[in-house]
Amino acid sequence: MTDSTSRLADFPEIWVYLSGNPLSALFLTLLAYQIGLWCYRKSGQHPFTNPVLIAVLLLAAFLQITGLSYAQYFEGAQFVHFLLGTATVSLAVPIYQGLTAVKGQTLRTLVLLTVALLVGGGLSIASALGTAHLLGANIDIFHSLWAKSVTAPIAMGVSERIGASPTLTALFAIVTGILGAAVGSWLFNAMGMKRWWVRGFTMGLAAHGIGTARAFSVHPEAGRYASLGMGLHGIFGALLIPWIFGFFG
Amino acid sequence: MLKSLTILLAFQALGELLSFAAFPSIPGPVLGLVSLLTYFFIRGGVPADIQTTANVFTANLGLLFVPAAVGVVVFWPVLAEFGFIILLTLLVSVVTTLVGTAFVLDRLAARFMPGEVSETGAANVSGQATEVIRND
Repeated sequence: MTDSTSRLADFPEIWVYLSGNPLSALFLTLLAYQIGLWCYRKSGQHPFTNPVLIAVLLLAAFLQITGLSYAQYFEGAQFVHFLLGTATVSLAVPIYQGLTAVKGQTLRTLVLLTVALLVGGGLSIASALGTAHLLGANIDIFHSLWAKSVTAPIAMGVSERIGASPTLTALFAIVTGILGAAVGSWLFNAMGMKRWWVRGFTMGLAAHGIGTARAFSVHPEAGRYASLGMGLHGIFGALLIPWIFGFFG
Repeated sequence: MLKSLTILLAFQALGELLSFAAFPSIPGPVLGLVSLLTYFFIRGGVPADIQTTANVFTANLGLLFVPAAVGVVVFWPVLAEFGFIILLTLLVSVVTTLVGTAFVLDRLAARFMPGEVSETGAANVSGQATEVIRND
């Protein structure tokens, strides 16, 4: 009896506990992502209904409406965030599979892919910085653009190391992926590209995970090479971007 | 699952250690990735249980960067002012990257990998179609 009365008296405190509890942020994050996935499937996996973007917009709106601060939200959601590092390590699996599945003259193909990687990575940074400079972006945006073609989990780590905003970089990476996935096939057709592996690798390099998902839905070979392009760009980006940034930044 | 998760975490820790001790400019998880990749090559394959666990992570990769990306709420003023510039910049950049990379890679393939197009499945179909038209 005494036990239940004391529990009842604690009720307001329990509510305070729940609202600031990791569980709510965790639950809301998963729920928002599920809604995003549902929209993505309903639309026939259209790039513009990207589940991550939908989840981010829903959660941002939720914070805006409830007045919950981002710091309070993140305190709970960091359990999801922590796994990002482990997920990055596990990208070694698709990269290994991609590398061992490279067709034909293996070493020769790998050299070609490396050249394409350096050209593509360089183009991605140079064109972004050049355009942003012409249009007059501010310094936060400028630095956060460096890693935007690299897969988001790695891009955020790179951004952090070069003193840019991981959050802006993640957003830029998502938008880059969506735009790349949306225009890629159309561009390749207009250019008369017939090699699936060239189309796929380019897609993975330029539009990372979102581009890779798109490539898989177009052709399995394109998908496998997209996965490789995304993985290798991740590794090269992480190794080279901080180093090159050191010269210019 | 639990064993492979332990192995992945061990490589992540190794990566953080390498980053801290030797390569401070490179994120720890990336060094963990490279270490694990090296391990696969030495071993000559991916253990089945690691592959299963890794697939769970890579299939749900998007979910994991949601918490960080929600940080956009802190950047509303910046995005309101520069949103259009950012969108235009990203579009120009991704189109340049796609066109430039595809062009270079395709030219390199045509120059250094003769006869390679015929190996590809569906690309072959359109290739043959053009051949037929030319022959006629």
